[in-house]
Amino acid sequence: MGTRACDYTTDELMVVTLARQFRSEDIVLNGTVSFIPVAAILLARATHAPGLTWVAGAVGVDAQPEPIIGNTLDPTMWKRCVMYLPQEHMWSYVHRGVLETFCIRGAQIDKYGNVNNTVIGDYARPKVRLPGSAGMGDMGSLDKRIFIWTTAHTPRTFVERVDFRSCAGYLDGGDSRERLGLKNGPQLVITNLCVMDFEPESKHMRLKSVHPGVTVEDVQAQTGFPLIIPRGVPQTEPPTIEELRLLREVIDPHGMRRREFPATAKRG
Amino acid sequence: MALRKVSKVVTLAEAASLVRDGDVVAVQGMGTQMSPMALVRELIRVGKRDLTIVMIVGGIGLDWLIAAGCVRRVIAIIVNLDEFGMAYAFRRAVEAGEVIMEEYSEHQLLSRLLAGAYGLPFFVTRSGLGTDLLALHPETTRVITCPFTGREVVACRALEPDVAILHAHRADAYGNVQFFPKPIWLDVDVFPRAAKRVIVTVEEIVENEEIRRTPIHTGIPYFKVDAVVEVPYGAHPCSLYPRYTFDRALFQEYATASKTAEGTRAFLEKYVYGPASHQEYLQRVGGAEALLRIRKWE
Repeated sequence: MGTRACDYTTDELMVVTLARQFRSEDIVLNGTVSFIPVAAILLARATHAPGLTWVAGAVGVDAQPEPIIGNTLDPTMWKRCVMYLPQEHMWSYVHRGVLETFCIRGAQIDKYGNVNNTVIGDYARPKVRLPGSAGMGDMGSLDKRIFIWTTAHTPRTFVERVDFRSCAGYLDGGDSRERLGLKNGPQLVITNLCVMDFEPESKHMRLKSVHPGVTVEDVQAQTGFPLIIPRGVPQTEPPTIEELRLLREVIDPHGMRRREFPATAKRG
Repeated sequence: MALRKVSKVVTLAEAASLVRDGDVVAVQGMGTQMSPMALVRELIRVGKRDLTIVMIVGGIGLDWLIAAGCVRRVIAIIVNLDEFGMAYAFRRAVEAGEVIMEEYSEHQLLSRLLAGAYGLPFFVTRSGLGTDLLALHPETTRVITCPFTGREVVACRALEPDVAILHAHRADAYGNVQFFPKPIWLDVDVFPRAAKRVIVTVEEIVENEEIRRTPIHTGIPYFKVDAVVEVPYGAHPCSLYPRYTFDRALFQEYATASKTAEGTRAFLEKYVYGPASHQEYLQRVGGAEALLRIRKWE
């Protein structure tokens, strides 16, 4: 995989880890405020997955934008695309399973990978009204391979049960998703602390690797339900020097990905 | 049918009068992009009430309408200010029970609008299966069994907005509306077909001959359009690709101001109620210099 870097930040590790999940045959589209996924898609395409098709902002087919400058649905992302995809076509491809990979995040994520971005508390009179389900309300039900990311790994985010199921993950665990006729589902959860996947039988979230400087105990303390913790959890594979160079100098020199970290957010 | 040479050109004030209190109004908009913002400001200034606003992605215009007390119900899949964060007037109003949010997944809402556009009772989708969205509104979305395969699908009841409002690049006086590079977003595609009345604001009104030279760009034909208003920079502070980008400074100013109800009121006073005309509004947001900046995508 090339020479490992030793000087890198959490945002860079998250982008690189997500990038490594994409395969050359994948067709991926991105949603709103998705700087980390977009950077990861572009990095994957520039390294191990040259055949990856990206539908920029769900519009620009195989777009080739210059560095990321605007928001992730902005027309600046569509540069040099081969087609502006009419949105009704996009939805037919999503339904048919031609477009198969999607990344989402949300305010709450539960142990079976269901995600809430709708309300905290009661729907009609919520304690907190969140933006809404948007594409996640579709993608979880439409057989997508879903990658979940969050820059806020806390017990408030990772909860036993989401207050509202905006996105269908593994529902009540086990074969409950399959019984409803839904294929695929959440593949991986990438956070600012660690990487998690889902135990194949129970579909319960399982710790896969921890980022440098983070212990297994740290992750469990910041998670609102008991994680499945295998023996000998490794450290998350660090970026290579080449991956870091591409990300820092070519793909995202303005550091748009860091906008997703509220505490250190910089406004351009 | 031959094109009847009836001009549909009206003023912003006349266009606003075509929207009635209590109407279901479909408002175009996609995050920071393409929204009929000059007409939205006019609706606020004349004090429309009890509107149901349909937006696929609710944005800054919806938040202003809510803050101004024009809205009773929202039909949308998400409401936010894109990269500028939460739409706080929306959040406050829903949390206080003053505005009802009728939330759908994107393909559920599209299916409702397509059924409206076709005049069919419902369209079906698989979107939302397994989510809590389905339980929210059994009067409009319900799981049914396919009569052919036995599979479960979601029936989405037809939605026909009373009026759709959009902003486009140009039109002729008869209402042939053109988009550049072409019509892309769902609302441009389906709102005019589903709605009973259609109002379009445009950057410029051109000759009918100019439309005939470039029909590939026409997204809405004259027979579906009721009114056309010429409003240069009519999407501001949203963008109209490729003509101008969004006004980053104004979005940021609103994102900050709207964190409190007082800040939101002061913002609306300054930018919506204060300017007596669209021209005055453009001066208020920085005039020629600011407009040059957004045309250069800076």
